Amino acid sequence: MSETISFPVMSKDENAEGVLATWFVKTGERVKAHQVIAEVMVDKVSLDVETPIDGIVTLLVEEESSTRQGTPIARID
Amino acid sequence: MSATISETEAGTRRLTTAKAISEAIAQEMRANPEVFVMGEDVGPYGGIFGSTGGLFDEFGASRIIDTPISETGFIGAGIGAAVEGMRPIVELMFADFFGVCMDQIYNHMAKIHYESGGNVKVPLVLMMAAGGGYSDGAQHSQCLWGTFAHLPGLKVVAPSNPYDAKGLMISAIREDNPVLFIFHKGVMGLPWMAKNPRSIGPVPEEAYTVPIGKAAVAHKGSDVTVVSVSLSVQHCLDVAEALEGKTSVEVVDLRTIAPLDRDAILTSVRKTGRLVIVDEDYRSFGLSGEVVATITDTDPRLLKAPVQRVAYPDVPVPYARVLEYAALPTREKIEAAIKAVMKG
Repeated sequence: MSETISFPVMSKDENAEGVLATWFVKTGERVKAHQVIAEVMVDKVSLDVETPIDGIVTLLVEEESSTRQGTPIARID
Repeated sequence: MSATISETEAGTRRLTTAKAISEAIAQEMRANPEVFVMGEDVGPYGGIFGSTGGLFDEFGASRIIDTPISETGFIGAGIGAAVEGMRPIVELMFADFFGVCMDQIYNHMAKIHYESGGNVKVPLVLMMAAGGGYSDGAQHSQCLWGTFAHLPGLKVVAPSNPYDAKGLMISAIREDNPVLFIFHKGVMGLPWMAKNPRSIGPVPEEAYTVPIGKAAVAHKGSDVTVVSVSLSVQHCLDVAEALEGKTSVEVVDLRTIAPLDRDAILTSVRKTGRLVIVDEDYRSFGLSGEVVATITDTDPRLLKAPVQRVAYPDVPVPYARVLEYAALPTREKIEAAIKAVMKG
């Protein structure tokens, strides 16, 4: 089973820029379901992002990069 | 990107310092119904620097108590609760705000145990944010641990990383004496503040303690001892790693300011004979001078060269970014001090 994790939609303004503030894991690392893998931020509001499933994580965006809400940020295989 | 995550075994869980602190509080609250949190914006907001994030959802308004802006009132209430056997964690928000409630801190929190002949304990943790580097001005950027450590009766801790933050918070909650838990905003790993990757690191999931009053050798070396605390330790480690192969730098992370781990300072200086102190608190009448006195009171001949101090100049913290960084301990100043002490 694999799963793509997207940047959460936190603002009604779909053009509001998000930031991938912190990665807590790195590519190739094994993660457990409900583990917090990232902290993201939109308009100075931050949110933890969890993985829904167990697996090996692949990061798709760089830390501290601007990221649109809804963009895939990681894959779990 | 990989450089932003400390080199640890894959699969090790990592946390920011902010999350490590709130996890420590949550675990102690689950284990002990006497533990509760009180302060401004500690509830649904989770602390303005994230130190109580998520706690309100788990424990509710009866144990995570938002207070009015009345520091004397809620610190006094915390002292009263502690005297009656509870174990409160009270957040002052900014260390700079101590001015309005100092009577509670130094005449009551610090002295009740002594004045009661040891019969009354005050197991209170007073948590506060310290430090600058983000243009918050003279009333929101001070470290002030030297001011508090100057007062007998208080223990003062200031962690530099997530692991120590969790372990020291658990020790502070279990400690029967009042403890000031001072976190630098720059070590919290906050998403909205520039951060050193050292603010995110491996943290065991189970509860554990880091002893109060024990320094740690954060980087082993043999040429020069660099004694520091809190965020400045991160800068010192960056410099120590950059100088590897040229100068062997030993970084001593005090972790606790009072009681000061004088043995750790002496042990390292006995080995290196050279000392640099890096402290974001004010230079005069404070921690950096006390570290020097630890050496000179014991044996000044331990020193092969005059001591260098990289500390905050005796001026209010400037708001203008360029002026603030002219005053702050920076990697450049630390490296220059190491070079100067190596020449001496």
